[in-house]
Amino acid sequence: MVSSNTTAAYGTVRDAPVPKYSTGVAKVVNSALYRHTLGAAVESRIGRILLLAGVPMIWLIMLHVGPIYQMLKISLLSHYPVQPGVESRFTLDNYAIFFRESIYFTPLIKSFIFATAATAATLVVVYPVAYYVAKVVRPEGRSKALLLLLVPFWAGELIRTFSVIMLLANRGAVNVLLREIGFIDRPIPMLYTSFSLGFGLVYLICLYMLLPLYSAIEKIPSPLLDAAADLGAGPFTRFRRIILPLSRDGIVSGCCLVFLTCIGVFATPMLLGGPNTVLFPETISGFFHGASDKWPVGAAFALIMLVTALTAAAIFMRLVGGRKRRTI
Amino acid sequence: MRTLLSDAPRASLTAFYWAFILYLLLPLTLMMAMSFKDANFVAFPIGEWTFDWYVKVMQDKQFLEACLYSIMIAAATTLAATTLGVWIAMLIVAEGIRGQVIIFALACLPAVVPGMISAISLRIFISTIDMPTGTAAIILGHTVHAVPFVVVMALTRLRSMPGNLVDAARDLGADSVVAFFRVTLPYLGPALLGGMIFCVLLSIDDFVRTFFLGGYRPTLPMLIFAKVQGGMSPEINAMATLVLVVTAAVGLYAEFLTRRARTR
Repeated sequence: MVSSNTTAAYGTVRDAPVPKYSTGVAKVVNSALYRHTLGAAVESRIGRILLLAGVPMIWLIMLHVGPIYQMLKISLLSHYPVQPGVESRFTLDNYAIFFRESIYFTPLIKSFIFATAATAATLVVVYPVAYYVAKVVRPEGRSKALLLLLVPFWAGELIRTFSVIMLLANRGAVNVLLREIGFIDRPIPMLYTSFSLGFGLVYLICLYMLLPLYSAIEKIPSPLLDAAADLGAGPFTRFRRIILPLSRDGIVSGCCLVFLTCIGVFATPMLLGGPNTVLFPETISGFFHGASDKWPVGAAFALIMLVTALTAAAIFMRLVGGRKRRTI
Repeated sequence: MRTLLSDAPRASLTAFYWAFILYLLLPLTLMMAMSFKDANFVAFPIGEWTFDWYVKVMQDKQFLEACLYSIMIAAATTLAATTLGVWIAMLIVAEGIRGQVIIFALACLPAVVPGMISAISLRIFISTIDMPTGTAAIILGHTVHAVPFVVVMALTRLRSMPGNLVDAARDLGADSVVAFFRVTLPYLGPALLGGMIFCVLLSIDDFVRTFFLGGYRPTLPMLIFAKVQGGMSPEINAMATLVLVVTAAVGLYAEFLTRRARTR
């Protein structure tokens, strides 16, 4: 009698045995609150789908797509936030401003040059390191070698940027050392220049390059390299004909990741850059912290940056990653 | 002859690796060393050493408040991002749902958008829904940033899960909610904990979103940024060193957790 009652309450959909839960779970599952809400919902197919998909879809559409959509909408308005007495209308002017004035145009180009240079430099510096950890270090030492590379990255973006100042300042380690050994009389101004910004960027982002490269190189079968060596290929030929083509996936994803991060970097230029290194994010930020009715222009500029950056990444993927299935 | 050829590149690669490690660690080591300098200005050589800056930092009310505020935001972010991330991952691996590729792409969208643009779009978004800048807005922004990482981590683990585990629970009569909490969630366990710690670090580290979404109360990175712009002092070094030691310890623990989860 008791048993049939619980079955009825729990659901007669299936002829399943009455589940025996441990006390805690039973208390929750058999409580009236649960039976009338979640318990009832999961009994129908629609209920299950709603329960599974409801919150995630609302979140994804509201907060992953919503902000970008709102930015697009506002970039097409003449005034935002709307003030009393001013009518906001649809316009493309915010985009036109970008092409009219070179003080807006130049920072974007600079941003692209910096991001491209930093990406290239990171690739060249990190590739040998990734190769060393993936192929030269014995398998049992690999995780330790990798861990040592990860340590600095728990420091956080701002602290790492700050630490670069210690190295490059006029009375920083490098200048003081050079003066001590009598190499220079006056300190070389390194901080607040393009050099310090580039140095800081590479320092900041090399992990994003390291991990994709490492996992790509690690997948290259070592017997392939041995076979090439046996057939008389020197180290350079092996690198050019086997390692480089087979690690292409890692190069593409690492470069895209680094490039997109570099384009959007905000705090680093403000701390390490000088008046000559005003990059696009700083330009955009000006529209949001100055007079508030410049928001539409800022939104338009942010979209210009987003579209150009993603296009550049896509073109790069096409160019480098496109001929993937070529035989070695 | 061949051993000679393969030994030279090997040695130079080893040297390069250690040079790279030196490059990674040198600035941070210098920063830490400078926090012990017994002078008001930041410059090498260090000369006299002292512990005073740490005493000063530990008594700095602003610093302690920023620490608490950052931890509070990180905790809320982690809770929200983990719940949402696992939920989205469950939706992606669910059978009989179409458009998984699109859902996955949507879930990863915030990870592809550069941080600066993400911050600005969120700033615009909260103003269109009349939400003030401040704590809630920061948590929202950090959560959007952290969700893709949780989704990817949870997906990796869910895909390695034998499907018959949940089937068995269902056959024994558990409904899907109970099966999720009693079978799937414990299976995600350690990997999820590693992901949660990653969320904490992501949130504590975040500067650009907090910059645009925050109010007048500074988080840790905001405080350090303001101090650096206000002028150098070994006090900032002591502050940064404390933060660095704590976050590195937490990060190491997370690495240990995920590694253990992987080998099991």
